[in-house]
Amino acid sequence: MRRATLLIVLCLGLALTQIPCADTPANAATVNIRLGATDGYAIMPDGTAVYGFGWADLTRVSKKRIYNNKGKAQFIGPLIEVYEGDDVYITMTNLGMVMRPDLDDSHTIHWHGFRNQIPIYDGVPEPSIAVPVGRDFVYYYKPLDPGTYMYHCHFEPVEHIQMGMVGVLIVRPALEKTLKKRKFVFNDTATEFDREFLVFVSEIDPVAHHDIESVQEPDWTDYKAGYWVLNGRAYPDTMAPASALPYQPFNSRIQANAGEKVLLRFMNLGFEQHPLQLLGIPMKVVGMDAQPLKGLNGEDLSVWKSTIYIGAGKTFDVIFQAPNTPGEYPFYNRNYCKQRDGPVGVGGMLTSVVVHSPRTLPGQRAVNE
Amino acid sequence: MIRSKDSGLLPGMCLVALAVMFLSGSSWGAAFDLWAKDAYISTPDGNSIYIWGLTDSAANRAQLPAPTLVVQQGDTVNITLHNDLAEPVSLVFPGQDVVSSGGVAGLLAQEAPAAGGTVTYQFAAGSPGTYMYHSGTNVHKQVHMGIYGVIIVRPADWSPTNKTAYGAGTDTEFDREHLLITGELDPDLHWAVEMGEDYDIRAFKARYWTVNGRCFPDTLLPDNAAYLPNQPYGALIMCKPDERVLLRYVGVGMQNHVLHPHGNHTRVIAQDGQLLKGPAGEDLSTLNFTVLLGTGQTVDQIYIWSGLGYTPSNPIPTRIPGLKNLVIMDPTLYSGSPYLGVKGDLPVGTTSLNEVGEYYFMLHAHEELQITNWGAFPGGLMTLITVYPPDYPL
Repeated sequence: MRRATLLIVLCLGLALTQIPCADTPANAATVNIRLGATDGYAIMPDGTAVYGFGWADLTRVSKKRIYNNKGKAQFIGPLIEVYEGDDVYITMTNLGMVMRPDLDDSHTIHWHGFRNQIPIYDGVPEPSIAVPVGRDFVYYYKPLDPGTYMYHCHFEPVEHIQMGMVGVLIVRPALEKTLKKRKFVFNDTATEFDREFLVFVSEIDPVAHHDIESVQEPDWTDYKAGYWVLNGRAYPDTMAPASALPYQPFNSRIQANAGEKVLLRFMNLGFEQHPLQLLGIPMKVVGMDAQPLKGLNGEDLSVWKSTIYIGAGKTFDVIFQAPNTPGEYPFYNRNYCKQRDGPVGVGGMLTSVVVHSPRTLPGQRAVNE
Repeated sequence: MIRSKDSGLLPGMCLVALAVMFLSGSSWGAAFDLWAKDAYISTPDGNSIYIWGLTDSAANRAQLPAPTLVVQQGDTVNITLHNDLAEPVSLVFPGQDVVSSGGVAGLLAQEAPAAGGTVTYQFAAGSPGTYMYHSGTNVHKQVHMGIYGVIIVRPADWSPTNKTAYGAGTDTEFDREHLLITGELDPDLHWAVEMGEDYDIRAFKARYWTVNGRCFPDTLLPDNAAYLPNQPYGALIMCKPDERVLLRYVGVGMQNHVLHPHGNHTRVIAQDGQLLKGPAGEDLSTLNFTVLLGTGQTVDQIYIWSGLGYTPSNPIPTRIPGLKNLVIMDPTLYSGSPYLGVKGDLPVGTTSLNEVGEYYFMLHAHEELQITNWGAFPGGLMTLITVYPPDYPL
């Protein structure tokens, strides 16, 4: 019994040393992450539990307990946050599915936008490999370009992406290690900000998800979105606390003190194009597709917008300055048809930016907090 | 392995257009005759779809897309349209200043009357770049039916040994170029035209998506494949590490398309045939991992894959599990080894299409229902970028 306890402590200890340390960036040279591919449910405001496939964060889970997370996918997937120059090892374990034990689909991880990638780490099964149920594969990356990326499964991507196997990947600039306690998008002090929030847009076709839950094959050309979500949630859950939906841990409560600079990381892995509008506060687009908006000779190509039109597969880094007047500024999908939850009611891709008077909020300790 | 007959020139270049250019006396003669006709095209799931299109010979059926016309800056381009269809047809040339002769007046352009009518269009190829041309009559029907193609205007200082998209000093040098024309197909609307029934564009519902008139995996097949007689243009991109590959995206359909190449970003250098440089030569190009190609737009970009430097003597830092702990597709494009130019073990009985250890990267629409053939993955708006080992005779 004591030996078992010691083994458990050792395993946990090993797991703890593998946590990517976003809080202590100088130490995060080698980053070990474990993701589990499995199924689960996302809850919509009308009470519908939508079946999906997704990722569970197994980084802090001991090897013995990995398969206890079958069926516990989160939507959207775990946030991966690393520094440029890090040696990043992502172990992907295919846990299998609870609701579809018949489905022996493999999974992969595709880091969307990783430059000069080689096929073995690119996650496309046809020119490389895929990971079967019950097996692991270690993907390695050494990111050189700071910015906002996404990751997703590329096995039968039309199905697996729509079912929810998507997540956010942030590469932080080395500048944050030299100018400590300050935050930047790129190695450029002009891209400094105080708080950052995720704006991950996508849609859910509830009929297709229900088909797959019921062992039916959807016709993907009949795709018809029924829910529109920000970070995996639809309004009013976009404004609920992070803990309100345990398997949808990212809300969209964008909050800042007056005068602070706020970074919005826009990402789209849906099947539609979306215009996101912030009412009352101009936004400056400083980055696109994990690259600073600069010409070949350093020309400043940043632009001011009130609406960000984002296509599937793109990301934007957008900074706004919280106005001096505290208040609530609506932030929503300007295609008003997408502010719905199901057939009735206001919902969908809708949230607001809440500006407090100066020094109300403490410093942000984590992305999206 | 399957590869297109690519001599390094623009794949899909209209051979007749090229012949006209070299035979017409001046080095870049630019007179073309095109016939509007019908044909059937194939989809990989066995469907056969009735189309309208253009062809460069009175004896042929239509081809999808229309012949690619390559001209040079400064050319006076003359295009005579001969109409073998049962309704009037015309052509419009976005980005060009066109004068017409012959034909009858239509809504958007001078038309060639049905069943044998002709009309001639003339314009000066002013600015280098990538342009489209398509029907200007009943456009909601005729463009979707397939009357569309591309015009490429080479810069005035073009030479095969100094290839640029927009001229010297524009940072648009390239080693290889490829054309990717995106489109959609609603088979029910094509059926309505074939049967002479009402064509209601409000009922438009795409079931197939195409690159150069073909659905994946036919996009990988050679140009002028005998078994795709009316779809002569492939879309397989082939290159080597560090080469500058010019990709010309052309959005002829009714939907915007978001196009994402794996392997690296692209540098977008021009849109709609306009170089992205400011009045004082400021560089306005951007690096993109996904390009939103609007309907009616063209986007030129440069793709360069340089790799990460891994070789058997500088190995990857992870251990690849044994074959029994992996899933490998059958057939596969995998060589069995993670290294460029190296082949390794594959499960017994697996068919590998990998020739010499080349790398394959998908280039595809990211609204992923569009990479299906009527809902079945893989298909649709997708092709591959093949990176060959440096010593391969490409």
